[in-house]
Amino acid sequence: MNTTAPGARLVARVDSVTKSFGVGSNTVTALDSVSLGIRAGEFTAVMGPSGSGKSTLMHIMAGLDTPTTGRVWLGDTDITGLDDSALTLLRRRHVGFVFQSFNLVPTLDVRGNILLPFELDGRRPTREEQDWIDHLIGSLGLSARLGHRPHQLSGGQQQRVAIARALGTRPHLVFADEPTGNLDSRSGREVLALLATAAREYGQSIAMVTHDPLAASAADRVIFLADGSVVDDRARSSAEDISRFMLGMEAAA
Amino acid sequence: MSAGISLRRGREHVSSLLVTALSAAFGAGLIQATGFVNDLYRDEEGGGETQTALVAVAMVFILLALYVASIVTANTFGTIIAGRARTVALLRLVGASARTLRRDVAREGLVVGLVGALGGAIVGVGVSHAALAWGVASGVMPEAAYRSVDPLVLLPVVLVVLTTWTASHVGSRAVLSVTPMQATGAAQERSHEESVRRPVRTVFAILFLVGGASLLALGILLGLVSPFGIVVAFFGGVGSFTGVVLGAHWILPAVLRLVGRALGRSAPATLAAANAVRYPERSTRTTVGLVIGVTLVTTFAVAMATYRTILLREFGGEDVDGVLAVTVGVLSALIGFSGVIAAVGMVNNLSLSVLQRTRELGLLRALGFTARQVRGMILAESAQMSVASVGLGLALGIVYGWAAAQSLLGSLSGTGLVWPTMPWGLLAILVAGAALLAGLAALAPSRRATAVSPVAALAVD
Ligand SMILES: Nc1ncnc2c1ncn2[C@@H]1O[C@H](COP(=O)(O)OP(=O)(O)O)[C@@H](O)[C@H]1O
Ligand SMILES: [Mg+2]
Repeated sequence: MNTTAPGARLVARVDSVTKSFGVGSNTVTALDSVSLGIRAGEFTAVMGPSGSGKSTLMHIMAGLDTPTTGRVWLGDTDITGLDDSALTLLRRRHVGFVFQSFNLVPTLDVRGNILLPFELDGRRPTREEQDWIDHLIGSLGLSARLGHRPHQLSGGQQQRVAIARALGTRPHLVFADEPTGNLDSRSGREVLALLATAAREYGQSIAMVTHDPLAASAADRVIFLADGSVVDDRARSSAEDISRFMLGMEAAA
Repeated sequence: MSAGISLRRGREHVSSLLVTALSAAFGAGLIQATGFVNDLYRDEEGGGETQTALVAVAMVFILLALYVASIVTANTFGTIIAGRARTVALLRLVGASARTLRRDVAREGLVVGLVGALGGAIVGVGVSHAALAWGVASGVMPEAAYRSVDPLVLLPVVLVVLTTWTASHVGSRAVLSVTPMQATGAAQERSHEESVRRPVRTVFAILFLVGGASLLALGILLGLVSPFGIVVAFFGGVGSFTGVVLGAHWILPAVLRLVGRALGRSAPATLAAANAVRYPERSTRTTVGLVIGVTLVTTFAVAMATYRTILLREFGGEDVDGVLAVTVGVLSALIGFSGVIAAVGMVNNLSLSVLQRTRELGLLRALGFTARQVRGMILAESAQMSVASVGLGLALGIVYGWAAAQSLLGSLSGTGLVWPTMPWGLLAILVAGAALLAGLAALAPSRRATAVSPVAALAVD
């Protein structure tokens, strides 16, 4: 697998994206002319201190929010001008999500949550998709939990259900926003290993937002964000290197 | 601290304020109207007694409306507390006692009661005056020296304040079950399994249901030989209905599930059905007021219609019919007000419960629920609740109304057992009302739910 070759297929791309919140003197510029691409089949970490614009970047790339200026592509689709329902369909079919918390619909059991993207599409999984989902359920250790509801699961188990749901439709891209932020270190490591495996073994493209160097070290590529701008973009790095870079960045600021 | 919370949460009380104001307006308006009637007979002998009698009749309807309003208010406060569980847990964590917090909530109830009752009373008296002016202008009412404000309107005002205060206290008991632990994790409402397993309450509900239904049957049989059957049947009715209200936490979800199946298998429909059933406390709170209101209205209407059938058969004649028709019309309008209060309660409760699920809706939007699907889901949920409560209320009301007529007049010569007479017009109004209600209740929450962007909704705590 070629992880760093320039010109690899991009599953998501932003070009000169700026995002401001508020008006007048209260304006906050969360993203300042950001351009980057997420490569297919790679596990990419977007790293940066709290408030650096990571979540905003993810929301815009995933079609959850619109940029103030600039263009956004998801797969080959320019999503910049799409209306709400077109964006919704795109998310439903081509994007998977893992959030920090509140990932699951409380009224649905584990099976219902995993199958939700299919239900939303008004269809049952095909035979092949069902086999894939069964495989995911087995390898994520959820077989005995299918009838449980979210509040009956630990935080780590809830995240695994969210991962199964995100991978279930084989989306172009899975977005994970601080997926380990609410977990103890062991469950956190488990979740990271699962994401890394999905990229390595299934060729799943994943973009993960995190401020934790240990989490970022699980990724194939690390993009550093500070004050709404990309400040570095490097291949797989150790947690120590990432920490050192972050500290240097803070010292320079 | 608590004052700050009350202020910030003021919007949550709009619903209770409206219900309180409606009850007070109804009460004050009705009492003021009895005052006007009395002014007509001021100089005649026995004028005072006329008003006493009228006030007594009016009070029956005012108390019924207040009963429904109290149940609605208690349930609305329950919903508000459920939405505040995280905040309450946090306050408990930093050392606030549950009793203090509950007292603060009841104080909010007192303020709501005072403001709503006074505002409502002013409106009620005003409407009475407007109706009088219209009556005098169109010649229905004679010119006379009418009073400006009847001092007796204070009676419903005081009653409304007291019942709202009490209802908020009862509704706030949920505060006691919030543990400081809930501040650390996601605060969960009691799920179906947990809330259905309330053995003591369930046993009482069954006792009341079985005992009440037996008395009701006994009253009907007794009614075949003596009009006093109604006394036995009355207690049977009150008893069995108490059983229904006590057992609402398993009766309503069962009815909701039945109705939910009719909604179909699309994702919005299944989620809506799941929503209505998974948190039985939430859906029971939303629907029980409406069940009570519709039962009252239907009982009354079916009883009157069946009385009329029996009386017409016994005595015949246009006179009886004319007088009965007018009486039934006026009394139906008066009792119908309880139904209106219950409907307002349901609309508000559903809005609140959707508002409290903002984050869940944000998640669904992120995962690919279109705005249209969200609207469909909320409408399905609202339809399910309206149909279930109006349906159950209709069924109960038809049985009770028929039992009332049968147990009172069954002993008239040659009556025996009769079929209930259906007041089709009123039933049609109720069914149309349910459809309207379903749409109306869904309107505000779905507009709000789809106006919020998924990102903003996900950020809600
Ligand atoms: N809805 C919003 N309104 C106003 N400011 C916002 C909003 N969302 C994010 N911001 C601001 O934008 C900046 C970046 O936020 P975010 O993308 O959440 O950062 P991160 O995820 O890296 O912690 C922060 O300064 C934050 O306060
Ligand atoms: Mg963030």
